[in-house]
Amino acid sequence: MAEPILKVNSVTKCFGGLTAVDDVSFSVEKGEIVGLIGPNGAGKTTLFNVISGYYAPTKGNVIFQGNDISGKPPYDLAGVGIGRTFQVVKPFAGLTVLENVTIASFLKHPKKADAERHAWQVLETTGLADRANVSAAGLTLAGRKRLEISKALALEPSFLLLDEVVAGLNPTEADRTVELIMKLKAQGLTILIVEHIMRVIMNISDRLVVLNFGKKIAEGTPSEVSSDPHVVQAYFGEEAA
Amino acid sequence: MKNRGATILAIIGAALLILPLVVHDTFVLRVLTEGVMWIGLAIAFDVIAGYTGYLNFGHGAFFGIGAYTIGILMMQAHLPFWAALPAGGVAAGIVALIAGIPTLRLKGAYFAIATWALSRAIQQLALNMEMTGGPDGMRLEAFLNPQFFYYLMLITVGATFAILWYLLERAPFGLKLKAIREDEEGAKALGLNPTKLKMQSFILSALPTGILGGIYAYWITFIDPSSTLGDLVSDQAVVMVVFGGMGTLFGPALGAILIFAFKTIFWAYLSDFQLLYLIILGALIAISVIFIPNGLWGTLVKRKAGATRPEQKAEPASEPAALSAVAAPEEGN
Repeated sequence: MAEPILKVNSVTKCFGGLTAVDDVSFSVEKGEIVGLIGPNGAGKTTLFNVISGYYAPTKGNVIFQGNDISGKPPYDLAGVGIGRTFQVVKPFAGLTVLENVTIASFLKHPKKADAERHAWQVLETTGLADRANVSAAGLTLAGRKRLEISKALALEPSFLLLDEVVAGLNPTEADRTVELIMKLKAQGLTILIVEHIMRVIMNISDRLVVLNFGKKIAEGTPSEVSSDPHVVQAYFGEEAA
Repeated sequence: MKNRGATILAIIGAALLILPLVVHDTFVLRVLTEGVMWIGLAIAFDVIAGYTGYLNFGHGAFFGIGAYTIGILMMQAHLPFWAALPAGGVAAGIVALIAGIPTLRLKGAYFAIATWALSRAIQQLALNMEMTGGPDGMRLEAFLNPQFFYYLMLITVGATFAILWYLLERAPFGLKLKAIREDEEGAKALGLNPTKLKMQSFILSALPTGILGGIYAYWITFIDPSSTLGDLVSDQAVVMVVFGGMGTLFGPALGAILIFAFKTIFWAYLSDFQLLYLIILGALIAISVIFIPNGLWGTLVKRKAGATRPEQKAEPASEPAALSAVAAPEEGN
């Protein structure tokens, strides 16, 4: 097996006395979709923030394409090929959709005209081209989630972190997003995804990593994980297990 | 639309260039020179306040630093004006760099308060140092040529406007600054280094302000801590930009023209002007923030429809309806 694109080694993240992520290790192979699941407060978003450079791990490290990236700032990680979205979407509200995506395109296309052209291509892929000249503040939640993905994609990343890009969408919108994710996988992108909607995560993930109270409690294919007693217990309580 | 804008600008530019040939009244020329200077101060302020979202209440400090640098270099180091002038901009830029390291970490009102405090500290320095002449101020060698100063101010402000317009509206830099203004955390994920960009923006705002301060010192020939380092420069810059429309360059220029014209007329007809003027200035900030948050320019001039979509690829859009038919029922939230 080739060297995994991402290796999370015994990562611990504490906030004061609270251990949000506790000694978590897993790896992601190139071209895979790995789902990160767990009940609310399990530490998924914290782990995302460690991987994308928003937090430095208290212990452990993160290896991306063979290099230790723990503690490097997010803007450097964008440069090495890590794109991410935010669960609480972060549109540049006062700017148009096109401008939002153009800003991300500057990373690989330093000239404005080139960046804009690239942003248009991204918007065509994500289905937001019709809304390109609309202010980002004027988008619906579904639109804003798509904008998050568009911005991350405009970085032309090799590894994409998606934080709840489906939750909160209606079924039609959700299917369009799933379709988009599958298209990105087909293009060779490696994806780590956090999602609450089980129907989605079970269908698209090659493998799952399950967190509970900051600890990894299971890892495996969706079918393995869904029959794992620890997982069942975490989701449905003592008796069900 | 764009051509019409360029034509209007060209006409205004030509009119401003010809004006001194037609107008021989020294008072009028003096008012125009100061008006042009205020356009420069307002657009420079707009870089950090409007584009980057950091309301700098110490903008006047850069102006005063430029003025004093030229004063000290000319009167004490006996440098010629042209050699001293760039130093005024550089000095303001260096102070922005040093002051930016701690203050640009702050946000919103905290940044405004910190920069205001910093400008008070610099005023105190000027009041207490020997080099600056303390409260008595400093008299420069007089060079009485109103036309010279009018043209120098016009060229400096014109060049500043052109450079800022290119950097902020044509080059990627302006959009990157706006990203910082809109969401600093989100901008980081897109490869932008906020610390670096904010610093560049602060220095870009300080440089022309320092140069304008230097020209002002040589023009007025007398500077003291209250005229160049007082609150008024910062306060007026804030009102001009907020009233004109932040983050648009044209808005602050328009705001500068209107507020300065108002001030001049007010001054001409009401002797006890200072206090009343400040009250009106304060009221104007409140009124603009409440009623025209986008400023005059943002309210009057709607943003262009924007970029046009390039030719579409042959690939047809995906069909969401067909997919949703296959979709399993939603399991709620």
